[in-house]
Amino acid sequence: MPETTTTPAAPSAAAAPAVRRKTSWAAYTQRYGAGTALVALLIFNALFTANFLTPANLLYVQLRQAAPVGIVALGMAMVIATRGIDLSVGSVMAISGQVGALALLSGTGLVPAVALALLAALLCGLFNGTLVARYGVQPIIATLILFIAGRGIAQLLTDGRLQNVDDPAFQFFGLGAIAGIPVQVVLLVVVAAAIWFVARSTPFGRYLVATGDNEPAARLAGVPVRRVKLIAYATSATLAGLVGLMEVARVSASDANNTGLGMELDAIAAVAVAGTPLTGGRISPVAVVIGALMLRLLQNTLIAHGVSREVAQMITGFIIVAAIYVQRQAGEGAG
Amino acid sequence: MQLNKTRRALVAATLTMMGVLSACTTVGGGGGGETAAEGTKAPDPACKLATAQDPGNSAPPQNVPVAENAPKLAKKDTYRVAFSQNASNNPWRLAETESMKAEAGKLGHQLTITDAQNSQAKQIQDIRSLIAQKPDALFIAPITEQLANVVVDAAKADIPVFLLDRAVDTNIAKPGEHYVTVIRSDFVQEGLRAAVALARATGGRANIVELEGTTGSSPAIDRKKGFDEAIKQCPGMKIVASQDADFTRAKGQQVMETLLQSNPDVNAVYAHNDEMAIGAISAIKAAGKTPGKDVVVVSIDGSRDALQAVSRGELYATVECNPRFGPAAFKTMQEYAEGKPVPTVLVNQDRFFDQSNAKQFIEEAY
Repeated sequence: MPETTTTPAAPSAAAAPAVRRKTSWAAYTQRYGAGTALVALLIFNALFTANFLTPANLLYVQLRQAAPVGIVALGMAMVIATRGIDLSVGSVMAISGQVGALALLSGTGLVPAVALALLAALLCGLFNGTLVARYGVQPIIATLILFIAGRGIAQLLTDGRLQNVDDPAFQFFGLGAIAGIPVQVVLLVVVAAAIWFVARSTPFGRYLVATGDNEPAARLAGVPVRRVKLIAYATSATLAGLVGLMEVARVSASDANNTGLGMELDAIAAVAVAGTPLTGGRISPVAVVIGALMLRLLQNTLIAHGVSREVAQMITGFIIVAAIYVQRQAGEGAG
Repeated sequence: MQLNKTRRALVAATLTMMGVLSACTTVGGGGGGETAAEGTKAPDPACKLATAQDPGNSAPPQNVPVAENAPKLAKKDTYRVAFSQNASNNPWRLAETESMKAEAGKLGHQLTITDAQNSQAKQIQDIRSLIAQKPDALFIAPITEQLANVVVDAAKADIPVFLLDRAVDTNIAKPGEHYVTVIRSDFVQEGLRAAVALARATGGRANIVELEGTTGSSPAIDRKKGFDEAIKQCPGMKIVASQDADFTRAKGQQVMETLLQSNPDVNAVYAHNDEMAIGAISAIKAAGKTPGKDVVVVSIDGSRDALQAVSRGELYATVECNPRFGPAAFKTMQEYAEGKPVPTVLVNQDRFFDQSNAKQFIEEAY
């Protein structure tokens, strides 16, 4: 499997000295595996999928569908950079979507509704962050609480009933476009650029990576580890809340049972397949976006060619396993 | 088309990566040929379904044994009964519970309701504690077939059990012995009725996208079976893509967006439930096509949102999957108490909604 994704790498790998061959091959795949797979999928679709290379399809189907996962994955990447994980993003999407929809339906108007929804998401993030940073609860357990309870809260808000939301101004978040680019895609670019800038050029970015890399050392060096973690979880939840609203707007209905269902796994997969180690200490927004695009395009390719869901899930899982395997290889090679 | 070596290698690599060479068939998708619902208005003479009327509910099941050995129910004016519902997190279940409550209230029965919150373990516990309360009769909407053992326990406690909308494993709980009867919907018939409606709407010439319910769920299996079997009678009706969309609006929309792009000659959608159909309608609009005109959509359930879509002309028709089991449930109980023969399988009545009657039912729909 990994061999196939790295076909274009073959010439450079062959050119490398024989002894270093394995290491450089692995390093290459670790860095560019998801990107290579993305290019391969694009070429495959250009050749074999009808109407694939049209702006309408690329922008309004493929990118619009991939962007929500990408945005959630970017928040997830910040948490993972601190050596954490956020399982609650899907449930937070449901909460935010429900709160936003209920506020709109009760006539608060657009801005307060969006603000309330994002506030609810932020509170969820602060809850996660406090458990992890202040009380030292393991991230997987801390966020599991809202993963389970959060969907219950969302369902409780409306008795599990679907809320139809057809406010045209609100629908802009899901169906609108800015200068011909779908809103979701614009937001993905903005969020990715912001995180890229923060990670690269601000003290917080260095704190984030230092916290995940070696927490005791970071603490000794004066990094405000607790605050860094709190901010990471708060950002992840707020981004999830934003995407929850966009999903509700896109479908024109808020569905507590299904909004964001399985999103945590899609987001983790996007981060992992992009080569970001789950052991923290690294963040690469560009890679995360590529990972999200690749996984979405893979799923759509399988749908377009009539592959059944069961098989499609197996293939997706296989690719994630392969990505993690390659990472381990690279880790051992370096160490 | 000329492929240079690198490209060919890449394609081969991608195909191997997908591991599903056989599933990727036609180059350039669809290949449907003369799609012609537009223009040629006369129904395809080779397709009998295209001129058929709605076949209605299926005939009552034949040769079904009568419940003879189940615990007896004394004849009384009012009863103390219990209902174990498996979940309350969707409108269909809420409507079902509401219908049980309303009918019990009307008849003056005293009704205890438990909600298993989608958990098999909880439903087993619920039923155990209901058995301990010794109701005159027990209604169960079982979450899975695995509830058979606890149904047997109820029979041993001499409580007659009536199953609603789903069955249990009949190897363990014997029909007519451990439970009186199962009142359920005929999902196969619902699929068949959807096929007839779609044939009528398209004149028997259709390139169909089938949006399936959650893989392995009995409505998804049976609704597919009923539809797929029926359209075999029509050479002009082809399923060009069939995909799982999990019974949800968002998935229906997402899958339909992708399929519309790769199969531009699609002119019909059959969705296993209303939610996926509503999602598909959004996707059709987003692709710049007109639902009901360029693409005809038919689905199953009869929800309020769907009836509104029908009255707007976006959804051609929806076959009801009636959640209102209350009247049938209590009527059956009454007949059983009076000693009338009760077959061990009963089918709940489903209606058919299209442009002609959708508007008048919107208010009462769930």
